Amino acid sequence: MSTFTVIAGREIHLALRNRSIIITALIFAVWFPALSAVGIVATSGASTDPVSGVVAAVTLPIAIFMGYIFCADAFLREKRDGTIETLLCAPVSLRHLWAGKTAGVAIPAYLTTLLAAVVAFAAASTMLNAFPTLDLLLIPHMLIVVPVWILTAAGFVGAAQLALGMRENQILGFLFIFGFFFLIGGLQSVIPGGSAISATAEVALAVTGIALLGLARFIAGKVSKERIVMTIP
Amino acid sequence: MNAVDVRGLSRSFDGREILRDVTFSVDHGEIFGYLGPNGAGKTTTVRILLGLLTPDAGECRVLGQDLTLEDGARAKVGVLFENNGLADRLSAADNLAYYAGLYGLDDPRDRIDELLALVDLEDRRNDPVGTFSTGMKRRLGIARAILHRPEVVFLDEPSSGLDPGAQRMVRDLIVDLSRREDMTVFLNSHHLDEVQRICSTVAILAGGRIQAFDSVRNLIAASDRPEMTVVLAEPGERARACETAIALPYVSDCEDEGEVLRCTLTDPGVIPDFIAALVAAGFRLLEVRRSSRSLEEIYLEHVGQSGDGA
Repeated sequence: MSTFTVIAGREIHLALRNRSIIITALIFAVWFPALSAVGIVATSGASTDPVSGVVAAVTLPIAIFMGYIFCADAFLREKRDGTIETLLCAPVSLRHLWAGKTAGVAIPAYLTTLLAAVVAFAAASTMLNAFPTLDLLLIPHMLIVVPVWILTAAGFVGAAQLALGMRENQILGFLFIFGFFFLIGGLQSVIPGGSAISATAEVALAVTGIALLGLARFIAGKVSKERIVMTIP
Repeated sequence: MNAVDVRGLSRSFDGREILRDVTFSVDHGEIFGYLGPNGAGKTTTVRILLGLLTPDAGECRVLGQDLTLEDGARAKVGVLFENNGLADRLSAADNLAYYAGLYGLDDPRDRIDELLALVDLEDRRNDPVGTFSTGMKRRLGIARAILHRPEVVFLDEPSSGLDPGAQRMVRDLIVDLSRREDMTVFLNSHHLDEVQRICSTVAILAGGRIQAFDSVRNLIAASDRPEMTVVLAEPGERARACETAIALPYVSDCEDEGEVLRCTLTDPGVIPDFIAALVAAGFRLLEVRRSSRSLEEIYLEHVGQSGDGA
């Protein structure tokens, strides 16, 4: 088994045993899309046409939020309790460690985002009393765009949490998340078609997400062990 | 090639010099004690050796390699920091299995079983580490540090926060491991009694510099004065015996300390003459022993009585 798989597997294991984060994630995965479904029904009247587009738009902030909350447990907790220092002494590069942790937290974050998408559809169907037509673009959206943005959010926040001190992390953590929300909102406003699901929007979101993930990977590779050790509380 | 080599190591933080031209080495297979007051730079030295910090000057090598540059070389090194490096939500066995994966152990099940038995945690193997006592976590931390059979293991305050029983168990474990696994142990510790019992060589760090570096035996011998403790069969004879002793040309001082006489001789070679002179003077001796200085006294001499290196 590769060290990447070992690290990712452990993060999945730890995330699934963190009851408080799982409960928070599940509440958010149900509450937020259910409320969004009310909005969908209110704006679309009896029509089910815009449901796919709005659900696609809703799943992205949920994906980012899920990436953020699972990530905090993987990176910040290990820094707070000093375990990261022991991991840095293992024969694993920092970039490997970052990649394994990011992938590990992305799995439970992705599963809860999938649940949120299902809840959004179910709630909209119930309120409209009809089954919304599934747009085929939702498939690449859920299989590519959503995972990419979860990895991007988790990767960026994880790299920042490794590099920054505890106080800076408390302040900047939320700024990162809101930064991502504004970025997605901004992208959706400049892409033709607005929040409706379209091939152009999906490609633009995927490309931007992948570029940001590459940037996060670059930043994680630039963080020095000394920087991490010196910011352990 | 030494197991650990430190040459001219210097490091400052925010303009404050923590380490100044620190030089010492550790032989293969020995238990080395690195002593110093709080803030002396012990942990900084270990972090530099492990490649977690970079030195301002000097060089450090572990098994001949610079761990800052060599990812693979770290596989030969084990480390136990104060936090044990364990995840509280995982079981003892899962924690060890995780590190086995990180260090690339092919089939670690037998090794995990062996170590859990060694640290007496076999029956708790599937319990979450968060339910363990401090002593149990420390023992598991030691098992984790040596899981991959490192050639050198760094133990940072392994007895810190433990009750005397657990301290003894950890101490016995370190000695046992050093012999059984033939590994070099680099021990950062405040427990001078522990260091004196198990370490063969020590370095005392204070004020950013190495104040003393030698075998425990040599350090004690070098600073030892031939001080004799004498217990008489007739306690009422102490005052006269003290006068007799101080009259001898090779006795520089003699004090009646209530239960015993404490006599300081000018030279260890005259100890037989000293005993013979007291017997010849008609005193019946119940006990005569040479008082040895403890490592603690030597340590305090080097770092100052406050123990803070000031």
